[in-house]
Amino acid sequence: MILRGLWERRTLSLVVLLIAVVPIACAAVGPIYTAAAATTVVRDALLAAPVDGRGWRYTTRTGGIQAKAAALTASFTAAPVYGMEVSSGDADLSRELSYTLVWQDGQCERLRPVEGRCPRAAGEVMASRASGMAVGSEVRLAALVRREPGTTELRPAPLKVVGVYGHESAGDPFWFGRSLTTPGGESGSSRIDPLFTVPQTREETAVAGAALTADPAQRGGWTDYAIVTVDAGRVLGSDLGALTALQAAADTAGRETGDIVYSRMPVTLRAMTTSSETLGVPTLLVSAQLVGLAWLLLFQTVGDLVRARGAEIALARLRGHGRARVWRFALAEPLLLLALAVPLGLAAGLLAARAMVEALLPPGIPAVFPAQAAYAGLAATAGGLMAAVVSAWRVATRPVTEEWRRTPRRSARGWVPDAVVLVVTALGLVELLAGGVISDTTGQSSSALAVPGLMALGVALLAARGLPVLARRLFGLTRRRGGLGPFLALRQVARGPVTTGSVIVLGTAFGLATFAVSAWTATSADYRRAAAFHNGAPAAITVQPVGPRAFADAVEAADPGGTAAPVIKVPGPPQLIATDPERLARVATWDPELAGGMRLAEAAAALPGPGTPRVMVSGDRFRLTARHDVPPEGWQVRLFATFRIPDRLKPAAIPLGVLRPGGGGSYAWNLPLSCRDAPCELRRVHAEFTPLDEQATIPRMEVVVTRLELRDEGRWQRVPTPRWRVDGDPGRDDGGFVVSLQNNQTLRPATYDPRPAAVVVGVGAKLVPGLDHAFATGVRAVATASAAPGLTGPGVVMDLEQADRIAYGVHEQAVYQVWTRAAGVPALERALREQGLTVVSTRYESEVAAAFVRQGPGLALVLLLISALAAASLALGRTVLALHTAAKRRGYELAALEASGAKVAALRVALLLEQLITAAAGTLAGLVAGLLAAGAALGRIPQFAEPLVTPPLSHDVAAAPVALLTGAGLLAALLCAVAVSEALLRGIRVERLRDTPA
Amino acid sequence: MIDEPWRGGERPTSPTSPTSMVRCDGVVQIYRARDVEVVALRDVDLVIDAGETVALLGPSGAGKSTLLWLLAGLLRPSAGRLWLDGVEVGRLDQRRLDRLRARRIGTVLQNPARNLIGYLPAAQNVAFAQRAVRRDRGRVRELLRRVGLDDAGNRPANRMSGGEQQRLALAVALANAPALLLADEPTSQLDAASGARVIELIKHAAQADGTTAVVVTHDVAVSEALSRTVTIRDGRVGSEGRRGEDLVVVGREGAVQVPPEFHHLLPPGSMARIEPLDDGIVLRRAGS
Repeated sequence: MILRGLWERRTLSLVVLLIAVVPIACAAVGPIYTAAAATTVVRDALLAAPVDGRGWRYTTRTGGIQAKAAALTASFTAAPVYGMEVSSGDADLSRELSYTLVWQDGQCERLRPVEGRCPRAAGEVMASRASGMAVGSEVRLAALVRREPGTTELRPAPLKVVGVYGHESAGDPFWFGRSLTTPGGESGSSRIDPLFTVPQTREETAVAGAALTADPAQRGGWTDYAIVTVDAGRVLGSDLGALTALQAAADTAGRETGDIVYSRMPVTLRAMTTSSETLGVPTLLVSAQLVGLAWLLLFQTVGDLVRARGAEIALARLRGHGRARVWRFALAEPLLLLALAVPLGLAAGLLAARAMVEALLPPGIPAVFPAQAAYAGLAATAGGLMAAVVSAWRVATRPVTEEWRRTPRRSARGWVPDAVVLVVTALGLVELLAGGVISDTTGQSSSALAVPGLMALGVALLAARGLPVLARRLFGLTRRRGGLGPFLALRQVARGPVTTGSVIVLGTAFGLATFAVSAWTATSADYRRAAAFHNGAPAAITVQPVGPRAFADAVEAADPGGTAAPVIKVPGPPQLIATDPERLARVATWDPELAGGMRLAEAAAALPGPGTPRVMVSGDRFRLTARHDVPPEGWQVRLFATFRIPDRLKPAAIPLGVLRPGGGGSYAWNLPLSCRDAPCELRRVHAEFTPLDEQATIPRMEVVVTRLELRDEGRWQRVPTPRWRVDGDPGRDDGGFVVSLQNNQTLRPATYDPRPAAVVVGVGAKLVPGLDHAFATGVRAVATASAAPGLTGPGVVMDLEQADRIAYGVHEQAVYQVWTRAAGVPALERALREQGLTVVSTRYESEVAAAFVRQGPGLALVLLLISALAAASLALGRTVLALHTAAKRRGYELAALEASGAKVAALRVALLLEQLITAAAGTLAGLVAGLLAAGAALGRIPQFAEPLVTPPLSHDVAAAPVALLTGAGLLAALLCAVAVSEALLRGIRVERLRDTPA
Repeated sequence: MIDEPWRGGERPTSPTSPTSMVRCDGVVQIYRARDVEVVALRDVDLVIDAGETVALLGPSGAGKSTLLWLLAGLLRPSAGRLWLDGVEVGRLDQRRLDRLRARRIGTVLQNPARNLIGYLPAAQNVAFAQRAVRRDRGRVRELLRRVGLDDAGNRPANRMSGGEQQRLALAVALANAPALLLADEPTSQLDAASGARVIELIKHAAQADGTTAVVVTHDVAVSEALSRTVTIRDGRVGSEGRRGEDLVVVGREGAVQVPPEFHHLLPPGSMARIEPLDDGIVLRRAGS
């Protein structure tokens, strides 16, 4: 009987099923998509982390490494990589060299032998090329001994070099951030790059001074370690808790044992947690609003289904069926449909979420089905269930005779629910407007975040109240003029019940959709704008650091006179962008409105500083002649000269010697080897005290540099004495400076502007750290802007040449980029490689914008947009259906009107107008609500995971998409109205009058 | 054993004779329509004995259908008392009233289609009415045979003709062998032959099963076929007819409704003199 009934009402049943399926699917999409988005967030954070932020390195000297490492493994971690090492000086103590002997599982697959082979047997090692060891040579470590055959004496074990490996990148996760080789390919002065051996070496040797156990694996002196890394291809967003637990286990292991667990995972975890939190609350709110909308839709539609069975239910009551039986009879069909809708909706949600994940998230992100998705689907179904119960209760308890009355009694809609919604909306709105920008995304401001949905509902409720009133007012006009069609249409609208429900559903859904579209257009524009400024230019090619001048020269050579700009970014605060101003002006993002109307070209033209020649030296020894005070008694004063070495980021300071008591003299020291081949630049001269006597008085003395000389190929040459500048005494330029324990001065060649020109963003009078992040200087603002290319916070844009002259070196966290236009990037990359630069990656501003979309708020907005549009379509369909059903119920009345001479055209106009007025009222109410919500919420609801400092965002809503949405809604309403009207008109037969009115 | 609707509680006492199926004692029915109170029935006194077949007559809006719904237990009197089958309706809770309606009352609504679930075949429609009491397939077959629909097969009710639907509606009303059969305009949409057949079925039910039948009708053929007529005018019982004779009813407070056919002699609103006789009174227009 139930199935027969469903078939009898197949259109309505199908629509109810569809309307039930889609909200359930929408509700389920939220958690599925959120889970995938959380996975994206976690994986992005993991991939952005340094190698040692992606796992743990467990180090122990007490053995049992495998069991210990097992505590740090989980389903999402890669298999631990085990290793062991021992450090020792050279057996020949006079060599003052220190070694680390290492074995790491899988080392031979990673090391790149440039000569020889990987070690296979005990006593074999592989050395770095920078160590200078040749294949076949031997090395002995003081601590690694073995018993000589036939004796009881322990002697350093010989280690035979069987292979030489080249420069290895510290970026390889296999080494867990261990820098195998020194930058630049040179071994340190005393520390030799690791020697790689095999585990058998440990078995056949002993470490001097350590316990010698029978089990070689437990033999003391060696350090065992295991590297456990999180697999970015397997970890899921739901693993964040487990990941946190692993970190806690690592912390515990580090505290409670003598073992060391090294990791920068806490930093990574913080990044993951922050992003996840920004994802969780907005998506939960979006899901909640969608579930609320689903309830509204289901409430109306399931109610329609139950009401459509009103006559049958009344018949059951007429026949004396008991209350329980009547209830069962009334609820059977809607409950069956809802039961059917749940699995279908969840399946549809999974499919839709998969499509969204594939389209919007990076490849490889799985769309798993979390339990929350099922709960959300069931929560959405609960709206339909409640609607079924309420409607069935109404139908089952109202007087049976009402079903057959010619003029059904109207029941006034209560104000209480409307008032509750409006009050909650008002409270949320006040909180939103009074609270300013919501920087907290962890849920404390959740009521304010729910304002858009509440506003949509509130405006829809008011519109539903207002439309019948307005229709009643206009109804008077149509009595006198306008014909029968408008008269009938307005009368029907004024009657209310169908109109009210439809306007509420349509207004809410379109309100949310309008807000979603508005927010999407505004946020997308904001993302693009932020991405353009943060990326600096349409494309940013990141290269491996080299010397700043070499970098600028390489870019010039790769793109002569072109649009590629060399940029060195130093993290703040304040941040520093050092670049070639002329090239910057050709390519960088800029908005004169944010810089007081100044164009980038004007600002860039003011950036370069004086081109005073630098003090360049090339040779093997440097000599400085100075006169100075007699060094104070009890102190030793050592004079240093600091040089900038080509292709090295760090400066090199050479000791020129201890100041002699004679009151002056010459001091000399060998220059770094690199200065023989390429000129090095003298950056500073300074002196340091060393106490010889603890009772000595506080020293202070003056040194005046009078002469600089350079020895090259055995001949000394005088180096032109530059104009000097003294840090701490700007007015002094005679080459003299004060050496003191307090305010120790530094003598520098005056090759730079001490207050360099800069484009300043929010820095004010603060000092700006230079390229080396150690030299703070004030800047002279040639332009004060609220946004500048490449800056994500307060900072400055400076001339690279000036920045390089001011700083001693380049900070290790400085990022080297080449900014260029989006076109021709591959060719430029090739050209940069040809100039010896190593291209690391290229980032387009569109990718930065896409990364913003992948942050929590962006992902929530995508979810809101898609789901709200789906809900709006459903609401429109539901409205047309409700109007169709209502008009069908009036078939008798329409037939009577036709019989009494009303023309079909007038009836057509009546039906069309009624539907259009209702649909238009709902759509326009939604438009107003959505735009109001957008005006109130945009700029206050977080758009980014981290609050954006710069650039300022306009939150401008693009009119075209909103107009398109409204137009599409109205057009669809018109088409549906035409179709429904024609279908209804075909059903009107005068013969219908033989029946009594339903 | 028949489960009595008052079982489990005190049996409402009936002042009627054991043979009365219906007794209305000053029944008033008021309902609200668009903020206006409408008095549909006022001080209706009516007794219908078991086995009687009564035609309720009267102009549209007089209150016939309202009285019928009251007799069906679908409405409760706004005032006055109503006994059905010896049970006072006002003292029954909804559950007992439902049970009374299921076991003792069969109702045929005005529009044949309204009595039926359109997508169900004839037998299932009858069985649907039996669900509230006891399934009796034999009776279903018997009823369908009696109304001439034993060959209706699986044809859904909404594919039947108006006459077939009305006969089926009657079979549905008789599904539980009710003591009281109520029918609202059962022949209004039928041709003469179909109407006659329906009347025969009602009479047959009364004769064969002792069912009391109350039929609202405008159809003279129906009223003539039934044993008694009760005419409702302006919510009151205006007159009754038995064995071909129409009698006005002296209502409470001595009110008498002058039948319309005498309005030309004593128009509404005119003044009349009362002249007493030994066995009654004579009304004479004042001034004549």
